[in-house]
Amino acid sequence: MSTRAWTRERMLLLAPGLLLLAAVVAVPIARVVELSFTRVVLDRAILIRWAGLDQFARLWQDGRWWGALRNTAVFTGSSVALEMVVGVAFALLLHRRFGGRGAVRALAMLPWALPTAVMAMAWAWIFNDSFGVLNDLLTRLGLLHGPVAWLGVPALAMLAMVVADVWKTAPFVMLIVLAGLQGIPEHVLEAAEVDGLSPWSRLRRVVLPLLAPSLLVALAFRCVQAYGAFDLPYVMTGGGPGGATETVSLYAYQNYFRYLDFGYGSAIAVQGVALVGLLVAAVMFLARRGGRDHA
Amino acid sequence: VGSATTRWRMAAACALIALAAPACAPRAAEKAATPLAVMLPPSERPFWDPIARRFEETHPGVRVDLVEGPQSTDLRENLYTASLLARDPTFDLVYMDVTWTAKFAAAGWLLPLDGSLTPEELARFLPAALSAGEFEGRLYRVPVRTDVGLLYYRRDLLEAAGLRPPETFEELRRDAAALQSPPGAWGFVWQGKQYEGLVCDYLEVLRGHGGYWVDPKTLSVGLDRPEALAALAFLVRCIRPDPISPPGVTTYQEEESRRLFQDGRAVFLRNWPYAWRLAQSEDSPIRGRVGVLAMVHEPGARSAGTLGGWGLGISRYSRHPDLAMEFIRAATTLEAQRVLCAPTGYAPARMEAYRDTALLSANPFLRELERLHAYAVPRPVIARYALASDILQRHLSAALAGSDVPEHALREAARETRAMVGGSRTAPAAAEARP
Repeated sequence: MSTRAWTRERMLLLAPGLLLLAAVVAVPIARVVELSFTRVVLDRAILIRWAGLDQFARLWQDGRWWGALRNTAVFTGSSVALEMVVGVAFALLLHRRFGGRGAVRALAMLPWALPTAVMAMAWAWIFNDSFGVLNDLLTRLGLLHGPVAWLGVPALAMLAMVVADVWKTAPFVMLIVLAGLQGIPEHVLEAAEVDGLSPWSRLRRVVLPLLAPSLLVALAFRCVQAYGAFDLPYVMTGGGPGGATETVSLYAYQNYFRYLDFGYGSAIAVQGVALVGLLVAAVMFLARRGGRDHA
Repeated sequence: VGSATTRWRMAAACALIALAAPACAPRAAEKAATPLAVMLPPSERPFWDPIARRFEETHPGVRVDLVEGPQSTDLRENLYTASLLARDPTFDLVYMDVTWTAKFAAAGWLLPLDGSLTPEELARFLPAALSAGEFEGRLYRVPVRTDVGLLYYRRDLLEAAGLRPPETFEELRRDAAALQSPPGAWGFVWQGKQYEGLVCDYLEVLRGHGGYWVDPKTLSVGLDRPEALAALAFLVRCIRPDPISPPGVTTYQEEESRRLFQDGRAVFLRNWPYAWRLAQSEDSPIRGRVGVLAMVHEPGARSAGTLGGWGLGISRYSRHPDLAMEFIRAATTLEAQRVLCAPTGYAPARMEAYRDTALLSANPFLRELERLHAYAVPRPVIARYALASDILQRHLSAALAGSDVPEHALREAARETRAMVGGSRTAPAAAEARP
């Protein structure tokens, strides 16, 4: 068969898939971008009017949006950093051979398998001031005198959310790193041991550089997911107290569904995608350069 | 050979698609009965069943689909919003919270109903519940059941201390402080989390101080007036410096506060009527020891209870709007109110239901509720109510959490609310201040 006929057949067979992708991905994205240049007037009907760049200009003057951006940055930065450390530590631990390793691995994966809304609800009760396990535990240990309203104080509410997120997603980092560890040949590690490297140097100079691609994947995924955090604050704090845990996604959602302000909600979403794209590009760039310096 | 294979593959693919397509189309048999659909919370479904079955009996050829939505009000609002945005005719009827009316009507999603009901029919409903279904002078929602904010108290504790039920905020404070023994038992529990409930609680305290949120006629915003500040100062003083409320009250919704009260760990509770039935249940430690009041007030001002409740509207995209109207009529008869309210303890929307012997013997609390409904105040009926509520929630929550001072929080809330009210083209019509 000629190459051209081949190409035509391939295109024909790919067409349904491509059309499906266009329908469920490209069209909605294009629609959101389009909406971000409009404003909505509610007048016994939803009237959509062209607004140019007004909605993006509105972002700059919106203190609530800046607050949401700051909250998202704090949440993403601290939760991803902690997840990387905890995830790598668990992966190293569970990479070793010991009895019942399979069971322990499955157990460690459990938080990741739970729906976020369910675990967020559970954590909200753990942090509850009167019925919460945490206050009870800390009081019994003599560390607390009187209950603390964890979710009622801005800084503590953010801390609580980070703790819940690390608990849930460190297993994801662990999983990816564990897969990376299995790709490192035994003889490389044995050679390092024979060469007299201490365990700490082996980790720093051999294991971590070889893990770099896995770490990078985990980092990029987690940055995107943490930046888009929605269900966790929605269930745990509702964005409170005083908007201290409202994320950009939560704010965009409020604009869409509660205020029917599709123009502004879309502008927030479009801006968010641009920002997270830059963030991931920066992470990748820095990590690649770091990796080259090492090599 | 190659191209023959290709043709064969193509033919097979086409045949597959042709075979699969009819399976996706709705089956003809289901079309026989005219469907009428409404989405409800799962907890209400069993009590609506008899109403729906009765309607099917009197309307042969009609099938009423009671679709179970999520239990959470917000999520059901989102599902209705998504469906109506898509102009989807799935739901003929919208089972609506009071706060949805203005938004759904302003978006053009609801049919006006005032032409379909006679003045005599309308006069049978509680006036406050009815006016909560109006937007810009037209009716979009017929009330089915109502809710009103109440102040519960431990009658046994007050009597033992020789105290009369409080009438003013100062008396509430004093009694709560005298009878509490924190951290085991607190004086006053309420809803202080950043969510709709906080706005409901604040509105009651605000009106009890003689203040207002948004004046419906003048569009004036009263959040930076002295009464509004005094109201917020009262809530802040509940938490510090001499607390009568637990520190966690800033994270409580209805259930957290009710559990404390029901466990016997609080003297006063602000909550909705549902808490009464639970407090009187067999295994309740406070069974028979609870009294109920309207929220207290400042001398010279009037008590207020935030109005809540549920009603039915008709989707603009319904294919059977006349039938839907028939259903609303059937769902709000006295008989239907008995069916829905007797087993659940819900407060009916029809006035005569409060005098109905069948309902009163099932739920004697209705006598109290009728009296307390006189204090009901609606939240402002404005198209962007959700935004107005969020602005207030955020600033109240910041002041309660101590990350902002009340004066500044309310000044900001007033400024943002004014910008919002001034910026929206649709003016509020129904009255927050209406008696």
